[in-house]
Formats: sequence, structure tokens, C-alpha cells
Amino acid sequence: MSDGDLLTLQQWLSPAFPVGGFAWSHGLETAISSGAVGDADALFAWLETVISAGSGAADATLLAAAMAPGADTDALALLAAALAGSGERAAETDAQGAAFTTAANALTGKDFPPAPLPVAVGRAARGLDLAPTTVAAHYLQAFAANLVSAAVRFIPLGATEGQAVLQRLRPTVLDTAARAAATAPGDIALAQPAADIASLAHETLPVRIFRS
Amino acid sequence: MLDATPIALQRTRGTAAIGFGPGGRLAWLYQQGSAKVMVPRSHGATPEAVFLNTAGGLTGGDRLSLSVDIAPGTHITATTQTAERAYASAGGVAEVDVTLRIGPGARLDWLPQETILFDSAALHRTTRIELAEGANCLFAEMLTLGRQAMGETVRSLDLLDRRIVTRAGVPLLVEPLRLTGLDLVSRSPAGLCGARALATIALVTPDAEDRLPGLRRAFPDATASAWDGRLVCRAMSPDPHRLRRDVAAIVEYLRGAALPRVWQI
Repeated sequence: MSDGDLLTLQQWLSPAFPVGGFAWSHGLETAISSGAVGDADALFAWLETVISAGSGAADATLLAAAMAPGADTDALALLAAALAGSGERAAETDAQGAAFTTAANALTGKDFPPAPLPVAVGRAARGLDLAPTTVAAHYLQAFAANLVSAAVRFIPLGATEGQAVLQRLRPTVLDTAARAAATAPGDIALAQPAADIASLAHETLPVRIFRS
Repeated sequence: MLDATPIALQRTRGTAAIGFGPGGRLAWLYQQGSAKVMVPRSHGATPEAVFLNTAGGLTGGDRLSLSVDIAPGTHITATTQTAERAYASAGGVAEVDVTLRIGPGARLDWLPQETILFDSAALHRTTRIELAEGANCLFAEMLTLGRQAMGETVRSLDLLDRRIVTRAGVPLLVEPLRLTGLDLVSRSPAGLCGARALATIALVTPDAEDRLPGLRRAFPDATASAWDGRLVCRAMSPDPHRLRRDVAAIVEYLRGAALPRVWQI
């Protein structure tokens, strides 16, 4: 592992990188709006499920697979699209993946085509001297941090309480990243039924701040 | 003496395969073991295939394989005679493979009745819908946790239920549902939330996006999305009977025809 490569990864996954993550809630806005997520414990439980048994685990697995030498990133991109589960989630991963690819191409001199976000990040990270588990853990941490930051703006939750939720999620993030690196994409399995339905219900929420 | 006798548990094996030629004529039919498939005389516009597991349910170690092949331009409905039951496993996993190959320009409505998961059930099922170019499908899958009328509570479970729709080999929809005992006791607001039944309905047609506004007008509470030629609707409920009625109504709306007669709502 090189410090320089770790800094590159941190730059790519930082909220300042022009990917527009702040616009997407991955269905969490529905759960906040309905009252299902209204405090720190509920936010933690929501994120724990979505990371360990849901979209987070799926994304981490796709990312790790995209980092493998000779990975078929076109096939992984199609699988990512098929796993999205709703129009808004498909837009979320496509839009962020395309923006990430544009910015990362400009910085690395590569000419990659757009791909869903986990595939785009994994593909770009192939050239870094970092283990897939490390990249997946940082990706999941950024995913969780983005949703925590969305939540603290809309539920009565202080910034420090939000960060405490993120810290509580650390074992989940590390464990999910480790499992993802050992899982074949064809073996991805999900158990986030209420989050899946929240993502669908988001399309008809009367008031929406986020795009998903 | 009795306890010296090893008990060879009887495991169920079943294979049923059916092929439809142009115009929905029966092209071939193969059945072996506990799996049967029938083509009841139907007065509807589209021929129906009805699968039946004569073993009356599934338990650990069982193997069931079902398939339908549909010739180009042909519209077929396939269903199951009864709800499938996944009983407690005394060891091993019941494995079910469903392969549905839809020829160019053909259409399948895959409408199996619900799968009832008993306490300690272990079921791994893969349903593959392989669409050729220009082929379409509608499918509905419903899972029930225990039999409500019997007051059953499912505490232990090993369910892997993969639904995969491809077109010309390219994945369009992949829904790999995994539920274990941990999910049943989880209090996560992203998890089951006390639901005893969950369902997915999907329509893969070129006009899927155009169908969404009408669906929402007809069923204002339906949670659905449509994008890139797919429409997906998901629901869960603490009340399996109510969910079954809702699923039936949405399926009838989407296909513009009554459900197969074996469905008794």
C-alpha cells in the first residue's frame, strides 16, 4: 500500500470530488419522511442493513470484481444496472458513475466509458497499489458518510451524533468490505426489502429534496 | 435392532419441462418424479401451463426443476396448481431451478402461486427468464412466512430466491433475495419490518414506462418504478391474504386479463 495511492483514493471518494453524491438519498428520504428513521438508533439500523445486506454489499462486491486484472467491466456494468431495483437507484448509480469517470479520466489521462459508480471506482482503482478490501471499505465509508450527512439535515440529529452513527458503523463497513472481496458477483444476495420499497415510494413522495 | 438400521430419508426429485410451438400448440412435454405439468383446456386467449409438485411440498435435499420454452411470437401463461410449501429442513437445502426461455417476439406471463416458508425451511431457488430479442414477460413472485391461520411464527430460515431476467444473455433485472433467521428478528427499518409476506411484480416490455402512470392511477398505494423497458412493483405486508389480493389485482391490471383459474382469490 502506498500513501500516495491512498490519498488518490481519498480524493476520489471525498464529497468535494464532482460526483454530486449530495443529491441522492438512496431511498432514505422516504424513511425519514414516513418517520421510520427519526433518530440515531434508527439511522444506524437502516444503514447497517443497507450496507451489510443491501446495496452497500452489492456495490462493494462489484467494485472488488472490477479491480481484478482483466475484469469484464462491461458485464459488471450491466449486472450493476440489473441489480439497481428502481429507476431512481439506476439513475443514482449511473449519474454518479458517469461524473466520476469524467473527473477521474481527466486526472489520470484514461479514456474509460461511463459505468455505474462501483464499477467506475473499481476500474479506476485497478492502477492503485491498494487491496480491493481497502478500496471497498473506503467506498462504503463514503456511501455511509453521505447518507449520514443527508440525515442530519432532516432529522433532529446533531452533527456530532451523526458522526457517532458513522463511527458505530465501522465494524459493519470493514466486515462488508472483507466479505465483498471474497464474493463472486453472481453470488450477490440482498435482504433490504423495506429499503427497496422506500426507493420505489420515493418517486411519488409529495415533497422531495433528493433525487432518490 | 431398530436403532441400528440407518434410515435412508426419501428425497424428492422432480423435473417437468414443456415446450410450446407456434400458435401455442404443445410441442413437447417431459415429466419425471414428483413434478408434473398440465395444459388445462382454457377458454382464454393464451394457453396455460400449470405445474404441480405431487410431493406436496419441499424439504431439505429435494431437487425440483421446471422449464418452459416458447416459440417465436407465441403468448403463454404459466402458473402452479397450488401454493408451494417449503417445510422445515431436517438437513440440507431444497433446490429449485426454474428456466423460462421465451423466443423472439414471444411473451410469457409467469404467475406461480405464493411460496409458503415454514419455520426452519431451507430453500434455494433460481428463476431464470431468458428473453430473446423482442420477447416480453410479466412475472409475479410472492413469499409468505408461515401459515397465518395456524398462528405459525418463522424463527429459523435459509432462503435464497434469485429472480433473473435476461435479454439475449444480457441481465435486465436481477433480484437475489436472501432471508435468514437474523432478518426475521431484525428491527431494522430497512428490513422486513414485521412483514409476513412480500411480493415482486415485474413487467418487461418496450412500453413498460408508459404503463406506470395508469398503474398509479388504478392503485394509488402501489410502490412501483419503470425505467428502460422494465416496470417493477414491490410490496410487503403483515397480512398475506391482503397482499395476495393486491398482487392479484395488479397482475390482472398489468396483463389486461383474468388470472389463471387455479388462482383462487
